[in-house]
Amino acid sequence: MSTLLQDVRKTFGDTVALSSIDLEVKDGEFVAILGPSGCGKTTLLRILAGFETPTGGSIKMDEVETADPRRIVPPEKRNIGMVFQSFALWPHMKVKEQVQFPLEYHKYVPQTLKKRKKERVKEVLEMVGLEDYADRMPNELSGGQKQRVALARAVAPQPSLLLMDEPLSSLDAGLRMEMRREIQAIHRKTGTSIVYVTHDQAEALAMADRIIVMNHGTIEQMGTPHDVYSFPQTEFTARFVGKANMVPGTWTKEGFHPLSDSSISWPSTWIAATFIKNGIFPVRPEQFQLNEGGEGLKGEVVNSQFQGKEMHYVVDVEGHQWTVHAPADVDVSIGEEVGLSLAGVEAPGRNSAVSVSS
Amino acid sequence: MDHTARKNQGGPASWFSALSARTLGWRWIIPAVTLIVLIIFFVLPIVRLVWLSFTEDAVPTWQHYREVLSDAGTWMVVQHTFWMVLGSTMMALVLGVFMAWLVTYSDIRAKKMIHVMVMLPFIIPSYIITLSWTQLFRNSSWFSGFLQWLPGTMEAPDLYTLPGMMFMLGLSNYPLVYLFTVAVLRKIPQELVSAARASGSGRGTVFRKITLPLALPGIAGGGLLAFLANLDNFGIPAFLGIPGNITVLSTAIYQEVVGIGPSAFARAAVLSVLLGIIALLGTFLQWVLLRKSRQLETAHEETRPRFSLGLWRSPVETVVWGFLIFISFVPLSSMVSSSLLSAYGVDFSVETITFSNYTYILFENEKTQGAIGNSLLLALWTAGTALIAGTILAYYRVRRPSALTRGAELVTGLPYALPGIVLALAMIFAWMEPVPGWNPGIYGGIGILMIAYVTRFMILQVRGSMTALMQVDVSMEEAAHVSGAKGFTKWRKIMLPLLLPGLISGTMLVFLTSFTELTVSSLLMSAGNGTIGVTIFDFEQAGYTHYSTAFSTVVVVLMLGVIGSLLLAHQIWKKKVVKI
Repeated sequence: MSTLLQDVRKTFGDTVALSSIDLEVKDGEFVAILGPSGCGKTTLLRILAGFETPTGGSIKMDEVETADPRRIVPPEKRNIGMVFQSFALWPHMKVKEQVQFPLEYHKYVPQTLKKRKKERVKEVLEMVGLEDYADRMPNELSGGQKQRVALARAVAPQPSLLLMDEPLSSLDAGLRMEMRREIQAIHRKTGTSIVYVTHDQAEALAMADRIIVMNHGTIEQMGTPHDVYSFPQTEFTARFVGKANMVPGTWTKEGFHPLSDSSISWPSTWIAATFIKNGIFPVRPEQFQLNEGGEGLKGEVVNSQFQGKEMHYVVDVEGHQWTVHAPADVDVSIGEEVGLSLAGVEAPGRNSAVSVSS
Repeated sequence: MDHTARKNQGGPASWFSALSARTLGWRWIIPAVTLIVLIIFFVLPIVRLVWLSFTEDAVPTWQHYREVLSDAGTWMVVQHTFWMVLGSTMMALVLGVFMAWLVTYSDIRAKKMIHVMVMLPFIIPSYIITLSWTQLFRNSSWFSGFLQWLPGTMEAPDLYTLPGMMFMLGLSNYPLVYLFTVAVLRKIPQELVSAARASGSGRGTVFRKITLPLALPGIAGGGLLAFLANLDNFGIPAFLGIPGNITVLSTAIYQEVVGIGPSAFARAAVLSVLLGIIALLGTFLQWVLLRKSRQLETAHEETRPRFSLGLWRSPVETVVWGFLIFISFVPLSSMVSSSLLSAYGVDFSVETITFSNYTYILFENEKTQGAIGNSLLLALWTAGTALIAGTILAYYRVRRPSALTRGAELVTGLPYALPGIVLALAMIFAWMEPVPGWNPGIYGGIGILMIAYVTRFMILQVRGSMTALMQVDVSMEEAAHVSGAKGFTKWRKIMLPLLLPGLISGTMLVFLTSFTELTVSSLLMSAGNGTIGVTIFDFEQAGYTHYSTAFSTVVVVLMLGVIGSLLLAHQIWKKKVVKI
């Protein structure tokens, strides 16, 4: 199913939760909505589900108007499935009953599935690896298993749009990695469109076909994970997705002079216009090269963390504190003088849609 | 969340489609109508009562107040009320806080059993408990005999006095203080105490600077709750104060109304306004304190013991259990033995046992049979109506909090915040002639009791349902919607199975309170429409102690039966539906 949002707005009293959102989710696409808490991403998802009414704008699902300010199609009449942050398993139902529930009541269940509910339940539970847990109650399951049941319940009626509201945030780190693979596998097997809300940029980068970066109720940037990560169009995206350091300096025809030091010049390729206008060069921690010999910008190491495969340093350069990721064999101690230079700038990939200004 | 009542804007042109989508129109019309109905049933009677106290033949006047307040008798009544409430509240506070402190912080054993034992007398209406104590202390009881046998000149205390009323009220209401204080004490994190100790303060300082200030709002709140319950109580002053000739505000109102003097209603209205204002002030103060103690709500409850009684544990346990067993069972057993005597004053022995009182009550007397039927009908009606209406109200209050739903909760709570006797009088004024000049005969039949009970007890169900609803996360409902279930299916398959135990505990409270209600019925009942409470009161006033005790015993057995079967049902439910 393709979903089209045009100029969707939402206000709660005086607070603007969403201001003019335009977005298209194509059939079979995995879209991640990424942003900090309070950026409006959950409101957007709840509008897609039909739990909230937009204050303005329109939403079309497969060309059918589902929400405008006067009337909305309620959630139970939309062809959607949803996975909740809190799992939302009904405590009084067995695993198989949870999965069977939407097969009985969902309005868009294909007749072929309706005829073989029992088999469908088995099939979906197999898909998430819980075929042996069909008769368990929710309180007899671990966190990861609960989330698998929630997934199975959401996909059982074959909805054409699957909504996920931070589904992994209540799981521990190891399980999150495992569930990412699980969700990717489900996306491949079912081919349904997915809108996935998260505040974890690693999750969004790992799974999505496309990432929507949101902040303060507006879309900061849309693009492939690679684009959003490597070619941020705004300062917010650079900080939030790439954890970039904002290096101030002067832009000239030759390139960028960090901290206006004319003896150093960084290449200006593929940098968004905003940064050039504001005299900023966004540098991700791993883009910095830390030189023990002191070449480049002079700075002092003020903190270091050993991370196993690499080292995380904080380097103070003329009062600016920048994060630098260096290979584990680079070993400098706190208080030492080091030099920082730019390691490399990559070019956009074949599918990139970034507007470059070089 | 349901979409139907969500906010929507649209011009008049969109009205038709708006209605078909069940949006704009119904979102405001239904709540507005509900609020108006609530105000008519819950607030208007109280307004009419206040109005009546200020008017004479519909002309505004201060005359009734001047009359009542210049009467020396009124001040006597106020004084009695003051001392009775003060004494009983102190007693309830001391007993309740001490018990709560022992159960929450000490290493006393069998805490759950102590908890149940403290709460046990709370289920039985206070007038039956009072009746049982009067039987224990009567002249020819084994207890009096025991006291006479002891050296010295000890006599069983006379309960038909001011201290007697204080004692009975304190005993009846200390579980309230206990319950309230337990919750507060448990919420004070142990770490706070440990932190103060680690900062170098000794046990005494910690108690003065940390524990006491944190617990004080809670304890004061519990004390106010007891104060309100003591002020509201009618059974104990009616059973002890009326024969003992000690009149307090609640019994004064009752006597004015049943005495029917020339300006009886107006005088009763004035006294009611006075009593009502005191009660509302107390409720307000309690609400303020409750908000203050909410600061602690983020902390989790702790049940580990915090200090050891050491060598004192066994002696303390003996005293506590001795006290609990004595107050719970001994008076009740004297009541049962009294009910088995053929006449007052006969000694209890195997030869004098007779079941004639029971046969009389259960099979011969139409009044008692009617009372059981009426009370059962009233309790079922009240519980059923409150269950449905109260749960709907609670649903909107919890899921869609707004000024409107908060207002609805406040309005529903008003009749319960007022003393029962005040509400009863307001009910008479409101329903005798709902519209001036038109008497549909609601007053004088069972109809007025049906209205009055629902008005008074609805809030208990609203609160119970709200608690139940708050424990069911919204996402449970949303998951049902996304799965295609709404309305009836959603409630049948998801909501009711999850809510039922919570709802039923509220309904049970409404049922049991209505079943043994005395205060409201004593003013509103008419011939042939007696309730259990009023019938026992009548027997007692007429001196038929063997009937009142027998009837009370029957009622206690009935109540225990209902509670027992409900607990059983709950156990079965728990086995079928495993909670998270």
